[in-house]
Amino acid sequence: MPPSICLRSFSQLSLDRSVHSLASRSRLSPHAACFSTSAARFANPSPKKGRVVAPPKRGQKTLNVKRGRKDPQGDVGKRPAPGERKAQRKRIVLRNDNALEVTALHDMAKATILSGLDEGRVLGIPENVVDALRAVEAFKPTQGWGLFWRPATLMRKETIQMAGLLKEVEESEEGQKKTIRRVLSGERLGGKSTLLLQGLTMAFLRNWVVINLPEGITDYPAAQDITNAHTEYAPLPGSQPTQYFQETYTANLLAQTLKANEPVLESINVTTNPSLPLPLPANATLKQLVELGAVNPEASWPVFLALWEELSVSGRPSILFALDGLSHIMKDSDYLSAEVKPIHAHDLTLIRHFIDCLSGQKSLPNGGVILAATSRSNCPSSSALEHSIQVAEQLQRDPNNLLHYNPYKKVDQRVMDALKDLRDPEAKGLDVIKVGGLSKDEARSIMEYYAESGMLRAKVDDGFVSEKWSLAGMGNIGELERASVRQRI
Amino acid sequence: MPPRLNLLGFTRAIPIQPKPQTQWLRPVVRMSSPQIRAYSDSKEPPAADRSKRPDSKPLPHVSQEAATMAKITGTEGPDLSQGTPVEEIVKGDKSAQDKLPKVMKDAIKTQPNTAPKGSRAYSTTTASIAGDGGLDMGLVDFKPPTTAPQIPGLRFALPVLPIPKDAHVKHRYDPVVDQVTNLLMRHGKKAAAQRDMALILQHLRTSGIPTINPTRPLIAGAPPPSHLPLNPILYLTLAIDSVAPLLRIRLQKGAAGGGAALQLPLPLGQRQRRRTAVQWILSAASRRRNTGSGKGSFAQRVAQEIVAVVEGKSSLWERRNAIHKQGVAARANIILPRKR
Repeated sequence: MPPSICLRSFSQLSLDRSVHSLASRSRLSPHAACFSTSAARFANPSPKKGRVVAPPKRGQKTLNVKRGRKDPQGDVGKRPAPGERKAQRKRIVLRNDNALEVTALHDMAKATILSGLDEGRVLGIPENVVDALRAVEAFKPTQGWGLFWRPATLMRKETIQMAGLLKEVEESEEGQKKTIRRVLSGERLGGKSTLLLQGLTMAFLRNWVVINLPEGITDYPAAQDITNAHTEYAPLPGSQPTQYFQETYTANLLAQTLKANEPVLESINVTTNPSLPLPLPANATLKQLVELGAVNPEASWPVFLALWEELSVSGRPSILFALDGLSHIMKDSDYLSAEVKPIHAHDLTLIRHFIDCLSGQKSLPNGGVILAATSRSNCPSSSALEHSIQVAEQLQRDPNNLLHYNPYKKVDQRVMDALKDLRDPEAKGLDVIKVGGLSKDEARSIMEYYAESGMLRAKVDDGFVSEKWSLAGMGNIGELERASVRQRI
Repeated sequence: MPPRLNLLGFTRAIPIQPKPQTQWLRPVVRMSSPQIRAYSDSKEPPAADRSKRPDSKPLPHVSQEAATMAKITGTEGPDLSQGTPVEEIVKGDKSAQDKLPKVMKDAIKTQPNTAPKGSRAYSTTTASIAGDGGLDMGLVDFKPPTTAPQIPGLRFALPVLPIPKDAHVKHRYDPVVDQVTNLLMRHGKKAAAQRDMALILQHLRTSGIPTINPTRPLIAGAPPPSHLPLNPILYLTLAIDSVAPLLRIRLQKGAAGGGAALQLPLPLGQRQRRRTAVQWILSAASRRRNTGSGKGSFAQRVAQEIVAVVEGKSSLWERRNAIHKQGVAARANIILPRKR
């Protein structure tokens, strides 16, 4: 047997192509593989189909971005159609079919609602008023209307106070009717919007004309949507300094006002001769006037002014003008002027109108109530408003010990001027209604209503009421509902 | 050259004669007794009515025979005036049952207490091992609590007995609600989980009365469906306890041979069962179509899944049945210690 060295040199000899002539190379090359497998072994492997990257070697860590078997599947549900989500989120449900009907529940009655005899009782809202309140968007989706058989509210101390205001307006002498202006303030979940709703309910029951600027919950109009530049605006011709009016917003407000106040507006004829851009039929009613503005946005602002003029004629019903979310209109709006400067909210015509009523510059010849509710969850900061409310509350508590404005905070002078009466001890027109906690008797009354509706499964006795009343931060009604009904632990 | 000894021949099974089972004989029931005739006797059968010989007499009825036997042994025999309960006598005796008239055979076949056709041979429910037994119906106890007598000299009155369930600060809420809240929690955000829990309960409260599917039975002792929306915690508990599996499959590595894992059924405790069920419900809810937006959308889907479970529409029931079926199959893998 030849030594291995010889065999190796022999095989290398045959592979060394350079020594062979070009002609003989083709003949020799098939022999090349006969003695060696190294060429095939060290050759690059042919790439497999569909796999560019080689699999990682054993023991080598790689980044695996694919979902493993162990990982839970994420939300793979289909997405809803556009607009569907918001509709669901903002839907207002006023009825729970599962709740028990409270047989002892009486409705608010036109004759007795202002008497104040119902203090501490839970009263239902009549059905036609519910429709009207829905039209003016007085209900909010965060409130607990959808838990009970039908809408009902507790006649708390502040409600009776508000009933007293309406009564005062109604009983004032013809020709010098009173205009009462109030700001509702209080803790979060304290029932400010519900108190406003109760005021609207009483006004509807007493056949007042109700104009409500709701907080932005569903669609415009809303207090926050007046100023957040979601609707179109245009400078009002001939105004100095320039004011801006919002056609679509005003038209929508007129439509809602018409829907809510239709029986009242239908019964009144137009007596003044308003100058409108569109012709009004002769002997028209207020309903036709408002319809004109609701259908034609370009005429909406003149129609609104004409409606206000009509309602100011003596002998017409009183007006309840209400707004929820006061701090939205106490700041610069998101609109820009032609000089690309922010427009102050008080330069928008509708807000200007409301502020004039609230500050007392405009009075209502037939009497009325101007209500502005603050909000604690959805409120842009407005230090002038906060300070004015604090001073007014302090005036009610201790008139001798007044607060001073924090000099390190930016002051909005227009807001300070508008709310001047709040800080003035002598001025009686504008005041604050502090919406505080319920008393224990009121808490017991509303909790008995919860229990009768089947929403609270407990024996309502003194110990239970005291426990929940304390848990709710001394009777904050929203917290009370959370603690007892919603089981928000 | 092939070996003469055929190895393959031994691989066949060697038949072993099984030991004959000693059959249990009923001493009373002897349907036929062989009559012995001696060669000296005449081939004509004796006239039964006239003969005095005891072997020629006709056999008494089973009840009579039992009564005679009882008389001999001095015990209480069957009452002869009542007739013979044939069904009881032939019970468990196949050969005797074959000779029964057809009416009685049919009656035996359709016995009321046997399980209906197509039902499982195993139970899928379990009794609560907790002290109270049944579900918490949320009924309010209107009995006045027992007041301890006033003892002078004590600063505080004695506690009211029995101490209410929610008196302990750490167990003041419903155990199911607590557990579901904790399972809902993500990234340690308990307040968000509690808000979701409240929304789930609110959805259960406002959704309609569920229609119960009879093929998906809820746990025993469930209240009528009309009671459920008014008691959302019970609704939640009912859905979770009904769909919860009784066992899980443990995979014993390599025990099945060839590196394969051996499946072993393992019973679960109540809290473990609930945990499994809640995790199933949460994963099914996350796969649901998201129709809402904002903070409450997941809670709403969980609530919809709970309603689907109670109505028997949820796919979790198939999952539960599959686990139970697998568990029954894996029952064979359990090797119990030999009895002595």
